[in-house]
Parts: sequence; C-alpha cells; structure tokens
Amino acid sequence: MAVSDADFYVEQGEIVGLIGPNGAGKTTLFNLISGALSSDKGKITFKGEDITDLKPHQINRRGMARTFQTTKLFADMTAFENVRLALLYGNPDRTIRRREAKREVTKLMASVGLLSDRNKPIRDLSLATQRRVEIARALASNPDLLLLDEVMAGLTPNELSQAMQLVTQLRERGTTIFMIEHVMRAIMEVCDRIIVFHYGSKIAEGSPSEVANDQTVNQIYLGN
Amino acid sequence: MLISTIFAKRKLAMGLMVVTLLALLLAPQFLSGRSMVTLLTILMYVILTLSWTMFSGPTRLVSLATAALFGMGVYTSAAFEGALPLPVIVAIGALLSLVLALLIGVLTLRLRGVYFILFTFGVSALVRNVVQYWEARVSLTVGRHVPGLPNETLYYYAVAIFALTILAAFLLRDTSLGMALAGIGDNEDAAAHIGIDVTRAKVFTFAGSAIFMGAIGAVMASRFRYIEPAIAFNPLISFLPVLMAIFGGVTRLWGPILGAVIFTLLQHFLITEYPYVYLLIFGLTLIAVIAYLPGGLAEISERNYYKLKGKYLFRKFWLTMKYREWRDRREWRDI
Repeated sequence: MAVSDADFYVEQGEIVGLIGPNGAGKTTLFNLISGALSSDKGKITFKGEDITDLKPHQINRRGMARTFQTTKLFADMTAFENVRLALLYGNPDRTIRRREAKREVTKLMASVGLLSDRNKPIRDLSLATQRRVEIARALASNPDLLLLDEVMAGLTPNELSQAMQLVTQLRERGTTIFMIEHVMRAIMEVCDRIIVFHYGSKIAEGSPSEVANDQTVNQIYLGN
Repeated sequence: MLISTIFAKRKLAMGLMVVTLLALLLAPQFLSGRSMVTLLTILMYVILTLSWTMFSGPTRLVSLATAALFGMGVYTSAAFEGALPLPVIVAIGALLSLVLALLIGVLTLRLRGVYFILFTFGVSALVRNVVQYWEARVSLTVGRHVPGLPNETLYYYAVAIFALTILAAFLLRDTSLGMALAGIGDNEDAAAHIGIDVTRAKVFTFAGSAIFMGAIGAVMASRFRYIEPAIAFNPLISFLPVLMAIFGGVTRLWGPILGAVIFTLLQHFLITEYPYVYLLIFGLTLIAVIAYLPGGLAEISERNYYKLKGKYLFRKFWLTMKYREWRDRREWRDI
C-alpha cells in the first residue's frame, strides 16, 4: 500500500508543502486526491463534499486542478490550444464564445509570463516553460485548489526564483496551493505549512521552521 | 499538424466540398452505368473511411469494428426485404448501428492501444458468428435476397449520406468536442484532469460515427442483392478504411477522402488489368506509402512547407558564410 496513514487538511488560502524522500507516496497521494487513482479506504473531502469516488473530470469541475511530475501536456497542440481546451472544459457552468476564450486565454498566459511563447508547439518549449504552460492550463479551469507536483525540480536558479514568484502571485489571487517539492529553498520560503511524508504516512507537520528543526525529519533526510 | 491551421483553411475547404457535392449530383447525367457503380463503391469507402477517421483519427484508437457497424445496416436492409421504403430502412439501419456502437463503446471504455484494436476486431467476428448461428439454427434460412433498386437511386442516397458525413466531420473538427478528442488522443490523463469527460466524449463520437456506417450499409445491401454473414460482415470492411485513412493521412479532412478515392480506383484498376498479381502490387504500393509517407498523402502538403523553409535556411546560411569570408579577407587585407 503506497499511502496508508495520511490524515491532514489544507485550509482555504494556504500554501501547503508536501515533502518526503523518494518513494514516500507523495505523487500517489496527489493521484488519489485528483481522482487519477481510486482509494479503497479512507475519505477525501473538498469544500465540504465527499470526492473520494469521483472521477478526475468531476473533481476538476468542482474546482481542483493539478500539474504532473512529468509534464502531461498535449504535445501536438500549441501552448495556447492547451490552455484554451482547459478553459472550455474546466468551466462547465459557463458558455464561452470563441472570441471570449481567445481573450481570456491570452490574458491568463500573459499573467504567467507566457505571452511570447503562446503560439509555439509544446515540443519547442523548455522544461521551465512547459511547466508554466501546465500551470496556466490548470489555472484555466479557475480552481480553488491547485495541486503542484514538483514544478520547481530541474530549473535553473533564475527560473526557480521566477517560479517561486509565480506561486506567491497565485496565492495573492486567492488560489489555495498544495505542492510537492524537493527544492528546499522554495519550500521554506513559499509555504505556510509543511507536511512530511515517509513510507506512505504523515510523520510531521508544521511551519517551515518547525519542520526544519524536527528530529524525525532530520533523521530521515540526513540520516543522523 | 496544428488545429489552428485547420480553422484557417476552413472557408476554402467548405467551398471545395460544395463544388464536389454539386459535381457528384450532376455526375449521373454524364456517366455510364458502370462508372456510376464504381462511383457508388468509391462513395461507400469514402463514407466508411471518413466516419472511421472521426473517432479513430483524433483519439488514435484504431477501431476494427467497422465491419460489424456496416454489416448491421446491411442486415437491417436484408431483414426487411423491401417491406419498408428505403429511407425508413436506412434510418433503422443507422439507428441499430448506433445502438451496437454504444454497446461496444460502453464495453471498451477502459481499453487502450492494442487491447482496443483486438476487442473491436473480436466484436466484429462475434456479431458475424451470432448472425450466422441464428440463421443456421433459429431462422433456418442461410442467406437472404434483397430486392434490387436502380443504381441511380442508390447512388443519390450515397451522395446524401456522404454530404451528411462530411458535414458531421466538419462540425466535429470545429466544435470543442473535436479538440477534446484530440486532447484525449494526445494525453488521456491530462484530458481527464482538465474537466473532459473522456468516456462520454469517446462513446458519443464512436456511436455518432456508426450512424453513417450503418446508413451506407443499408443502402449497399440493395446493391449486393444477396446477403449472408460472410458478405455483410466481411472483415475487409474493417481493414480497408484503416488502410485508406493511413494512405490519405488523418491529419486533414481531405486525407481520408482522397485516400479512399485513390485506393478504390487503384483496386479497380489492378483487379481488371492485373487480376493475378493484383494483391501483390496493391501490397507493395501500400508498403511504399507507409515507408515514405508515414503521415499519408496529407503529409505532402506539410512537407513542401518544410522544404521551402529548408531552402530559406540554407540560403541564409550560405549568405552568412559568404559574408564572413568577405569580412575575413578584408581584415587580412587591412593588416
């Protein structure tokens, strides 16, 4: 069982970080929350509603969006088309006209710094830019909760600061963020609260400084 | 191939389609009876290929259920034996084909890749065998006769179905459903996570495309005259549209159409001219196309673009080199 003892919550407006060694079950947890995997036990509630048995598209339409550890973009489309598709399908309670969609997507892409890359095919974009497209695509469905799975891994220092800036920007917009991250600098600076995972269970939780000084966490990470 | 390019060329394509339809409607005035039969066969394959591409093109799920869905229409026609007027029979055939496709769709929801291909192929075989069993054991009549109708009548029905098919294909490309299908084919997980009901989109399109297969099946029954399971559910009907679509290329709407037309003509020509080596030449042509044009005929138009771009880049490179040579020589001279 990849995830067995994970009892936690994410408050509205928070940025919560999820850390843990490789194979701790972080991504599996994300897959359970977003509906990519179904859980055989336990309960997941979102905005007061039980979403344990819902499918990914139903969860998305209730206001949750995510990115993937290895980016899952529509490789045969442009960045713009990726985001537009999410805009059209992620907002079921709205009818969006073609021109309206174009305007909205352009605005959204500009806000995450993708304006100049919007008409390029995905395969021509750098990893950092692809991650940005994925974030833009997730934002297109206007989520209340955004799950970010290692969006900062493998970025250059410059790209990293930009990515951190973007995450903080998202919070100001009112989006709650739950993120898996290995880059400690990012986690410590950006998160309000951190949850530590090990062997599929939560072993610690608290503010960045609390977690950094936690004995068990240090033992797992540093082995002393 | 980017979807926005299709939108840009929409008007031209629409115009071409209207011209083609008008030409098809006027064709019987100028054609001999035999050429009209050929044209009818071509239309049949165009409709099958086009409706196959509607679902399998964007989703990249290769369906081999075409024979079952087409045969459903053929058998509907055979079952009524001319007791009802043709439009009603065509409608019932289309409807039954839709129902069968819904059933197949619901059963194959979770299958991807080669499992989907095998399952749909299996379904075709199953349907054929069930009908065969029924005829041998229950109804005790193997084979049926369908009252023939004038070829011209059948031809006009085929043109009408073709017009509806092409219209549906256009609409599918143009609406968000078409884009959603392309997204599903590209990355199904991602599609599900941005709010696309993957199952519904797939089943809806698969069932929708079956309408046209069933309709043309019901029309063609009157052309076949004698129907038995091996004829109605001929596995070739499953394979040929796939080959035709690959031959023409599925990235453009005209790809499958052109593929079906050329393929059928080639087949006719080879059968009549070289009956003994027909399959040999046919196979070689197919291998050549797949080896040199993996994107089908539709790729040629894109390849030209890259060739031009290549020429441009080469010229730029060449000029840069010339300039450097000239600059270096001048520097030497200055010393």
